[in-house]
Amino acid sequence: MNINGIGIVFTRGRGIESLDKALQEGWQAPAEREIKGRKTFAYIVDQHTISDRTLLKNMRRADKLSKMAVVAASDALESSGIKDLNRKRIGIITATALGAHVTTFNFLDDILQYGDAGVSPTTFSNSVHNAVASYISSALGIEGPTLTVTQFFFAFHSALQLAQAWLLEGRCDYVLAGAVEQYGDVLGYIHDTKLVPAPGGRIRPFHFKPACQVPGEGSVFFLLGNKKQDNSFCEIHNVLLNADEKDTPQADLDIIDADGLLEDETVYKNCLSSAVPAASYSPLFGSMLSGSAFNCAAGALMLRNQKVYANPAADNARGLNIVTDTVSCNIELIRCIRYNCLGEKAIIQLGA
Amino acid sequence: MIRITGIGAVSAAGGNVPETLESFRSGMRNAGPVTLFDTPLEYPVFEVKQIPEKYFLEGQRTLSLAIIAVEEALGEAGLENDLSGLRIGVCLGTTVACQLNDLDFYQSYHSTGTASMTPVERYLKGNLAEFVSRKFKAKGPVLTIVNACSSGTDSIGVALSWLNNGFCDIAIAGGSDELNRIPLCGFGSLGIVSSELCAPFDSARKGLNLGEGAGVMILERKESAERRGRFSDLYLSGYGSASDSYHLTAPRPDGAGLERAIMKALSDSGISPGEISFVNAHGTATQDNDLVEGNTLGRIFGTELKMLSTKGYTGHTLGAAGGLEAVFSAAALREGWIPASAGFNNKDENIPLMPVREKTEIRGTYALSTSLAFGGNNAAIVIGRICDDKKH
Repeated sequence: MNINGIGIVFTRGRGIESLDKALQEGWQAPAEREIKGRKTFAYIVDQHTISDRTLLKNMRRADKLSKMAVVAASDALESSGIKDLNRKRIGIITATALGAHVTTFNFLDDILQYGDAGVSPTTFSNSVHNAVASYISSALGIEGPTLTVTQFFFAFHSALQLAQAWLLEGRCDYVLAGAVEQYGDVLGYIHDTKLVPAPGGRIRPFHFKPACQVPGEGSVFFLLGNKKQDNSFCEIHNVLLNADEKDTPQADLDIIDADGLLEDETVYKNCLSSAVPAASYSPLFGSMLSGSAFNCAAGALMLRNQKVYANPAADNARGLNIVTDTVSCNIELIRCIRYNCLGEKAIIQLGA
Repeated sequence: MIRITGIGAVSAAGGNVPETLESFRSGMRNAGPVTLFDTPLEYPVFEVKQIPEKYFLEGQRTLSLAIIAVEEALGEAGLENDLSGLRIGVCLGTTVACQLNDLDFYQSYHSTGTASMTPVERYLKGNLAEFVSRKFKAKGPVLTIVNACSSGTDSIGVALSWLNNGFCDIAIAGGSDELNRIPLCGFGSLGIVSSELCAPFDSARKGLNLGEGAGVMILERKESAERRGRFSDLYLSGYGSASDSYHLTAPRPDGAGLERAIMKALSDSGISPGEISFVNAHGTATQDNDLVEGNTLGRIFGTELKMLSTKGYTGHTLGAAGGLEAVFSAAALREGWIPASAGFNNKDENIPLMPVREKTEIRGTYALSTSLAFGGNNAAIVIGRICDDKKH
């Protein structure tokens, strides 16, 4: 399965060029927010980033979650450079852990304020998990199978696995598979209550314990297809869930999804080899349950550009073999590694 | 070939498959006012009246319902014991269990700036497929499908892909949803809930009734079933899915997306429309759904098609609907009859075909079950039955 195109919306901008720029520039402080009198940090997507009047012309009432996803999905098609895509033969798989929670809370506001009979039908419609995929389908004219899937850590991995199955079965010619998460103040409150807020808003992926987080938001979509195309980024060799180390060949680079969403992230340290350099780009995106998609996009870009990017958070108290400089080099294989709170592991193997 | 080695169902129509068939046989419609939560909305709903104590999970009714149906299905499949040695995937659909929509939590946060994390913990441990997978120690792919009203059908379709691609040998697939205040308010606001008992495809239909339940199938690769010494006369032969690319809540008027989903399910099965013995339609009893679906079915299958909606017995169970209706379709193929389409009395002249008015004998080996979702996704599955003379 090939990554033929990537679209991304995150705190540092829109499009693969923004990702490239952010990877080169390194860490920047997130936005400071005040929630109910408490100061906190979050990686927020600026409304200006997703103000695309042409693309979103029929989405005035859509929420930010849907707009971020539509922009990312559209850019993924665009970046592939593939002409004359048969949109009846493109599938959509949207992965999200928390879905439209901001709109859901708006709907609960309606109930509390106006009662059960006084709620807004528009807010309700947009609070449904698959509203995002529906907007992608109608904004981009895609008429293939359209699915929304959810899990708390591995939703994106499962989406990729299913996309692979659909392509192998010939159910679709291409699949737009991606992830989207939105920040909201209730989520910020939950993050800061249950997890350790990162001092100064700086996630430290190689600190491991105590792990610290800064919530983020954004969307990444990948146009996946069976064939390599002119603009292709890389191949996805395999998506392994609950995999053993022995199932995967040694890579040229391991990207870990450590982002502070596990209280103790020592499992990541234990999976690293001193012979393989490691990286984690969560300090650029923020902590998200579907954050693997963003690191996967970074890995795909590295394979296309044949360049490794320096870790945005350089603290390395344990003396691990981590990438400290942005340099051109020969990369054949990257492993993107994610753990969940039960210590189960998912690996995406990306190959040049 | 993907065998259906077990089925399980719980809804207002019954606590298991045999009880449900009895309700279907007698035409029993167990609807009533909302008792599960306080609301001023006076819509009839189809509640599951009693959840046995051993299945009760505080604040996680969707999971309780799912476990009831999964246990029944596993029992029929001969998989009651530890599943840890088998490659079993879990793919289940829902709408309610995926959302953190606890009103008490939110109200507390909203008014005081703080709230107990108990509902959050419950939510984080309550992802439907993950919960079921852990409870039964299933070792295989896990995925919760949140495709609104087609979630159950899509879950079965996703499981079919997993099995066909060798991701697992057995899959627990279907859907589960509880009756919940949030969607009741939401559907009410859309003006598509009836204050009377629903009447799918009837000319005087006034909208849907919400319900709750779970419907689950055990899908299994033929080799796996044979290895375990299990034979089943039922199998899942095809799945199709297509998007309307039209509107967030309304179905596409020409039914083109639904037609493509149905045709894909038929072609997956290698059969023609004429080989379908009956269709268990989505049939929500809303004006738009029944008009679009009825016309699309008429166009594909002709006006003599035997069809029904079982929502007259269960209400619209949202993410569970596709799972329940797949189970009902499989049971009907095995039983050789379909129940009267409850609530239907008067033909709608704008719909070229009618659902059956009485318990009807069916012949043939294939059934189709359809789902149309909020967001414009359409899904269809074809279930087959091996005739007695071809069993061995």
